[in-house]
Amino acid sequence: MEYFPDMKFGQFKDGARAALPIVLGYVPVGIAFGVLARQSGLTSVEAGAMSLIVYAGASQFIAVDMLAGGAAALPIILTTFLVNLRHFLMSSTIASHFKQNSLPETAAIAAELTDESFAVAMSDTRKIDGRPSFLFGLQTTAQAAWVAGTLVGAIFGPLVNGASYGIPFALPALFICLLVLQLKSRIHLAVMIIAGALSVSFKYLLPENWNLVLAAVMASIAGMWLLKEENGEEQRPEGVGPG
Amino acid sequence: MRLQTLWLLLGMAAVTFLPRFIPLALFTRWSLPERIKRGLHFMPTAIMAAIVFPVLLSSAEGKLTFEPRLLLSALPVFLVAVKTKNLWASVVVGMLVYWLLGFAL
Repeated sequence: MEYFPDMKFGQFKDGARAALPIVLGYVPVGIAFGVLARQSGLTSVEAGAMSLIVYAGASQFIAVDMLAGGAAALPIILTTFLVNLRHFLMSSTIASHFKQNSLPETAAIAAELTDESFAVAMSDTRKIDGRPSFLFGLQTTAQAAWVAGTLVGAIFGPLVNGASYGIPFALPALFICLLVLQLKSRIHLAVMIIAGALSVSFKYLLPENWNLVLAAVMASIAGMWLLKEENGEEQRPEGVGPG
Repeated sequence: MRLQTLWLLLGMAAVTFLPRFIPLALFTRWSLPERIKRGLHFMPTAIMAAIVFPVLLSSAEGKLTFEPRLLLSALPVFLVAVKTKNLWASVVVGMLVYWLLGFAL
């Protein structure tokens, strides 16, 4: 573990356990992705490789949709970039919970950062403060589920139907609960409403998930302004990292 | 794997990795300005709300829609989440209600 000096197996296991609700959502959605990837002309190996090395659900669905429509590589890569820029915000937020880690360790954590693992990590930040192994365990488990689901869908595609049962609602339900866990004060509630309203309003106007980026930034600023109104300038919000 | 697919995957991987990596690499080494750090306090709430509300309220074209199956599934999940604060319970209830509503609606 020369390159990963801070890895602790006990924390890794705790993180893996915390990922199980994500697994419940990722496996069926991964299966649905595998099916679509095959229909777009990718082989099973290529579909699995995309889930392994790109590992970004929303942009993968868009990519296979564009492939099926005959798009070239460059527009697909550009779209992927625009769709996934939102992770810049999540990565910045996560960074405030870690001190300097080795670069390979930072890269490993960064490569597996998704909306869902970010949201679960933020539901109890005491578990990730200075504990990269916890986050690594959480994310690796989630990614394993995504890759496994993709392969099942790509190989056994015709036998499964991702739109059946309650599968399409697994990830929305996960997010609703994670959002509820975030609502620690009236200002958090206000931020939620502002972000939700803006994101829905911008959705029609802005392509490639930019509604989400803009809404999140504006609602965060609104939240800070509300906090300042409530507390006065000098007070720090509670739980803002060790800073 | 075909060579053209390999290039596509490597390109997608690179543009996905960089926005995930750069802030973590920079801001764990050099501290962010205090103002920005404070601004990130509400970011998790804001991002999650910005993700989930369009899922429930936007059509594929981005227009505001009220889909009964989605909204009636979201309500019990919300109540279970407030009551139990349990991710498993919320996901299972959500999937179950959504599935059953498929027969009713």
